[in-house]
Amino acid sequence: MSKLGVFDISVRYGKVPAISDLTFHLEEGERVFISGPNGAGKSSFLNAICGKVPTSHGRIEMDGDLLTGRSPEAIARLGLSMVPEGREIFGSLTVEENLRVGTGIRQDAQAIETDIEEIFAAFPILGERRRAAAGALSGGQQQMLAIGRALMTNPKLMMVDEPSLGLAPKIVDQVYDTLAALQEERGLTLLIVEQSSLRAARVGGRMVLMRGGRIVGEGNAADMADRDALAQAYFGNSHPEPEAVA
Amino acid sequence: MTNFAQLFFDAASLGGLYAMAALGIALIFGVMNLVNFAHGEYIAFCVFALIVPSTDAVAVMLLGRAPALILVPLILALGAAIAIASEHAVFRHLRRADPVAMMISSFALGFVIRNALLAAYGGRPKAISLWPDLNTPVRIAGAEVPLLQLIVILTTLLVVAGLAALLKKTRLGLEMRAAAENFTMARLLGVKANVVITGAFALSGALAAAVALIMATQTGVADVRMGGQVMLVAFIATVIGGLGSLPGAVAAGFLIGAASVLLQAFLPLDARPFRDAFLYTLVIVCLLVRPQGLFVAASAKPRV
Ligand SMILES: Nc1ncnc2c1ncn2[C@@H]1O[C@H](COP(=O)(O)OP(=O)(O)OP(=O)(O)O)[C@@H](O)[C@H]1O
Ligand SMILES: [Mg+2]
Repeated sequence: MSKLGVFDISVRYGKVPAISDLTFHLEEGERVFISGPNGAGKSSFLNAICGKVPTSHGRIEMDGDLLTGRSPEAIARLGLSMVPEGREIFGSLTVEENLRVGTGIRQDAQAIETDIEEIFAAFPILGERRRAAAGALSGGQQQMLAIGRALMTNPKLMMVDEPSLGLAPKIVDQVYDTLAALQEERGLTLLIVEQSSLRAARVGGRMVLMRGGRIVGEGNAADMADRDALAQAYFGNSHPEPEAVA
Repeated sequence: MTNFAQLFFDAASLGGLYAMAALGIALIFGVMNLVNFAHGEYIAFCVFALIVPSTDAVAVMLLGRAPALILVPLILALGAAIAIASEHAVFRHLRRADPVAMMISSFALGFVIRNALLAAYGGRPKAISLWPDLNTPVRIAGAEVPLLQLIVILTTLLVVAGLAALLKKTRLGLEMRAAAENFTMARLLGVKANVVITGAFALSGALAAAVALIMATQTGVADVRMGGQVMLVAFIATVIGGLGSLPGAVAAGFLIGAASVLLQAFLPLDARPFRDAFLYTLVIVCLLVRPQGLFVAASAKPRV
């Protein structure tokens, strides 16, 4: 039984299809990158898994539990956590409060405190500003906070949507180092949206290429990046122009 | 000669009443983007719960006969209960609906409650006497202040401090603040939508009950229309304060109370009957100058 099974799902916004008949599997402890041009449906895919948008067709399972039709909070309670596109931290809450929002689903009060200290140890700047409003953090710090906040639910599967968005390359390196280290430590399964195949290749893992709401390619991230580079050398841009946003 | 201490106590107690009503509206708006126009009817409902249902002109106390130590928690619980019940019966089914549809449903719900009260109690205002001793004046700083005014001011301060502590220090408070800022994100972190919304309605209903107890004591009247007037002022306070902002609602509640008392005191005698026209002119000026609300940082982005 795979960790996450997505069977033939479709997502549409009104009449506009964003995902069409998509099937996908994720194994325990795996790290998978989803790549593809703007509007390919990457975010819609993650949002369908976490229950943020409904599927019009198909089913999604995690550890044999059916996720389809469950509320986002019920899915979170099954051990799935999300770092959304644009981070969506609670700007009016303090840094520490942001970390605590997701702890309501846990019973291990002691472990919550040690986890918070661990996150502050991993991201010292967050520890220094634990009582500051999260809205005042820089983009990179907010990304760290969003990751820390997702970890505080003690997830088995964590999904991260474009963590590199709007960050300087050096900060992106740092974010990925942290994610890789966390995965090592906690045996997390990771599903990450990352536009840059080069970046994915450097971090390592499986890569899935999406386009027009479907999976159009799949393989080892390093191989995929090579192919991408080759295509770019021959045809200029390997990705079609971004589709018009509705 | 106008007595300034007197004015101060009048303004603070009226403002406190408005502030509590405005808080009740802002709490629900914060988590649901709903302006609950049935809030005024929650107030009327709690007032009428004090007396025996009958269409007689003279009111006979029912719950109102209980000693204060029992009566106060009982009415607060009743206010919370009717708010929770209306969430279950009406608003829960409209969560995905347009905010306008929700608002109109709240009007409809208000009519239902009001007409149920009319059917049970008749339309004529009734004299009631709840804690009449509280209207005996005490002398403070040269002013004759009814004890009730002091209690209202004190209650408001306690309610505001208590609510602030609840929001700041408890798990439910944290979840409510997170949900008010970004409901979907809070749910993705396991925060239960139903818990947060039920909590907000319970607090809002209890605030309506507190307003009901104060108004019943102060006016000595039970009238189905009494909630509607407060609701209107409280709604305006939440708009001026910045919809969804709790500190803004409190501040604007006090501001309107103060403006109202000051206009009453200092307008020329001929103009006093038109006090409300002056008051609402000030409201319009406020909204023209700061449409996002007086107490919201100018940079804050709109909530909806
Ligand atoms: N809330 C929405 N309402 C209507 N259409 C939407 C909505 N969200 C996404 N879409 C459309 O669905 C399609 C897929 O969008 P999605 O955000 O999933 O793509 P993406 O691969 O994440 O793109 P990006 O790289 O820009 O984040 C696009 O055509 C987009 O315009
Ligand atoms: Mg996206």
